[in-house]
Amino acid sequence: MHAKPTAVLIFIALLCASPIPARAQSYGGELVVTVGSDPKTFNPITASETSSSTVAGVLFEGLTTEDPKTFEVIPNLANHWDVDSQGTTWTFYLRHDVQWFDGKPLTADDVLFTFNDCIYNPDIPSSSRDVLTIEGKPFKVEKIDAYIVRFTLPVKFAPFLRAMSQPILPKHGLERAVQSKKFNFTWGIDTPVHEIVGTGPFYLDQYLPGEKIVFKRNPHYWKKTAKGDALPYLDKVIYLIIPDSNTALLKFIDGEIDAVGVSGTDYPLLKPLEGQKHFHIYEAGADFGSNFIALNLNFRTNPKTHAPYVDPIKLSWFKNLNFRRAIAHAIDKPQIIQILFKGFGYPQNSPMSPSSGYFYNAHVKSYEYDLNKAAALLKEAGFVKDAQGHLHDAQGHAVEFNLLTAAGGAERTQIGAIIRSDLERLGMKVNLLTLEFNSLVTKLMATYDWDAVILGLTGGIEPHFGKNVWHSSGGLHLWNPRQSAPATDWEKRLDEIYDQGVQELDQVKRKTLYDEFQTIAAEQLPVIYTVLNTDMYAIRTRFGNLNPTPMGGPFHNLEEIYVSQ
Amino acid sequence: MSLNNQVFLRMIWGVVLLLGMSFITFFLMHVTPGNFFDSLKMNPQISQETVMRYEQLYHLNEPLMVQYLHWIGNVIRGDWGYSFYYNVPVTHVLGARLWNTFILSIASLCVTWAIAIPLGIWAALRHNQWVDKILSVVSFAALSTPSFFLLIILLYAASHWGGLPLGGMHSPNYEDLNWGQKIVDVLRHLIIPTIALSLASIASLQRIMRGNMLGVLKQQYILAARAKGISESRIIYVHALRNAFNPLITLLGYEFASLLSGAALIEIICCWPGMGSLLLTAVRSKDVYLVMASLLLSGILLIIGNVCADILLTRLDPRITDAKS
Repeated sequence: MHAKPTAVLIFIALLCASPIPARAQSYGGELVVTVGSDPKTFNPITASETSSSTVAGVLFEGLTTEDPKTFEVIPNLANHWDVDSQGTTWTFYLRHDVQWFDGKPLTADDVLFTFNDCIYNPDIPSSSRDVLTIEGKPFKVEKIDAYIVRFTLPVKFAPFLRAMSQPILPKHGLERAVQSKKFNFTWGIDTPVHEIVGTGPFYLDQYLPGEKIVFKRNPHYWKKTAKGDALPYLDKVIYLIIPDSNTALLKFIDGEIDAVGVSGTDYPLLKPLEGQKHFHIYEAGADFGSNFIALNLNFRTNPKTHAPYVDPIKLSWFKNLNFRRAIAHAIDKPQIIQILFKGFGYPQNSPMSPSSGYFYNAHVKSYEYDLNKAAALLKEAGFVKDAQGHLHDAQGHAVEFNLLTAAGGAERTQIGAIIRSDLERLGMKVNLLTLEFNSLVTKLMATYDWDAVILGLTGGIEPHFGKNVWHSSGGLHLWNPRQSAPATDWEKRLDEIYDQGVQELDQVKRKTLYDEFQTIAAEQLPVIYTVLNTDMYAIRTRFGNLNPTPMGGPFHNLEEIYVSQ
Repeated sequence: MSLNNQVFLRMIWGVVLLLGMSFITFFLMHVTPGNFFDSLKMNPQISQETVMRYEQLYHLNEPLMVQYLHWIGNVIRGDWGYSFYYNVPVTHVLGARLWNTFILSIASLCVTWAIAIPLGIWAALRHNQWVDKILSVVSFAALSTPSFFLLIILLYAASHWGGLPLGGMHSPNYEDLNWGQKIVDVLRHLIIPTIALSLASIASLQRIMRGNMLGVLKQQYILAARAKGISESRIIYVHALRNAFNPLITLLGYEFASLLSGAALIEIICCWPGMGSLLLTAVRSKDVYLVMASLLLSGILLIIGNVCADILLTRLDPRITDAKS
């Protein structure tokens, strides 16, 4: 029987089009990836930057975890849990089959140790404690039996389950360090790697400073596939430490490494090589985090000098909503995306990233690029353009302010330059200043003597973790930090939303609250959002089960990734 | 004064110099705004109280003078302090990297001197002939090429034609090699960064050597030697070379100091596991004790280098000891 030629052609075309043909999973093999700098510690509680948390993320696990696709909280070290009717007492039932790398079983004692002796220990500074306390009060953590732990919360705390992804530490491995008050300096990079004991799919086999981190397969790993096969598949995972992204790209093209992050500017170089070098470029979606301009709305005076933090003339412009909206209309987001990311980016309107899933509100007010509209808004606010094209306010003061960015972030400086040229077309004089990061932080957090700033902050799925930015008492409430009482009606409403949202256990009601928060933020524009880049990863096609996401990166499901033979 | 006394006196001065240098850098690191924990302040999930707890832990709230005396006292007792970033003693963070940077710098130093000195002599002896002119043009071209740019071009070339590793210091299978293969492996990895690091120094040293040699060849005593009928090769390689080489010995002393600090950019681009990227991040994030430790080490090397150069000079040039005694 003869197959029709067209059908064969379509079949071949389909084969070529699908990036990863279905293959059988198999064990063994290694994956070589890169990390931008050395880990600073192997201790997940003192880890505070990405390289360290990347390493800790492979070695340690929490009671819960997030489904990388749906962002829902799913069981991890805890098999299941229940909550009482008040929503403050949570009982977790641990898996019985979890072993530490040294073969000892994971029990309720380890969970108690992690919370009571490490996180809530006043001698140990850590960012985990800030997430795991409510109004300064810790959770009460009790052991019910060897595999059951009860958490009693002072009040209802909606992000609780998500916060329970906190990595659990082995009591037998660290108890002595806590007792001798050496915990802060324990499991640093000088520790012999086999002393680092976690429960993750891979254990630490070797660390060569400045060169590489080698992980090997944990043969006792508890997680199984749906069919009951043991995980992980890979024998070895190697993180090469490559500080320069161009070198990483060369090594990737050369075949020395298996995956690399791709920026918009790299894309045209890499895309044509896909077939020849056997890789595929994944577009995971908009980056987490944010890029924005903030205007200083701080109307207070410096208690030492009795001078206002912000020049009252400038403050009167910044406080004018039409002035802020005019700036928003003067930001040419499509052009910024084109120039900086070669088209691989998203305009940002809401404080939350489009990748953040359930709580993201896509229907907030957006400000399209329109200089005529911007000029009209300025006119409405009493600003006039003189014969030379300079903008003056109603009292005749020429509009001029400083726009700060941090040195080192070339992207933000470029964004600043594009925005400045558009603001100049509106008649404003904008001085773009680049400051060393520490100087900028001092201005934003301590001396408050700034006009406008281009900045970015990290983001996440849980809106409550942005409280420090959006609650008027927050230290990162950049435009007017640490207020004793909210200065404006909309800030008052934001405080209410944040105070209610954290107590609301009903997901739908919570969503309504945080939708309103995003609506207010976009209406009132205390910060004016710009653009987000697309997270892209190039990975060799011989690896299977790949599912890169903006939140988890390319290897959040490291245990499921395999090499096809 | 005997040579031993001289050296002893120089060492005492060296210590005073080190103290002064360490105080000035310590002071400069602190007068610029902010401290290491500023990066934590910009994290929405970290509270002010946590940052304060960190600052307390590392005594960042105490007066500058107290912090300095505390530090210098510990250094004298052999404790070089903890790195804020790594939470381990700075000596551990620097340890292996110091050696790696040393290997790269020594390789570059040897290559530079081994090539530049003969080239300089050759150019001087062929003064204004075509060899000299070509060498001049090439030197100026090499001098004006930024080393990082050269390195990127070399890396692209290696990626295109293969043959040499693209950065790093060891091959992935380094642990499985025998010691002979290990040395070859490191040498292969050394080629690209060494070329990038040496080219400009070869050019400049070659020019200096050529200039010195030309200056000496014009001296009266060379004319006198020629008049006495001493063979030309003896005049050049014994009498002229020795005098032309003297100023370079001082230079060699200074090269000692840059052994630890001269290759930062190259190391970063080449993923050489040295101190380059480590120190750059340390300075930018104000990891004070890490920066202080490496500065102190460079200072010590500079002083040792200078003393060694001076001793060598007195050995090679009898006029110096004569003038002093």
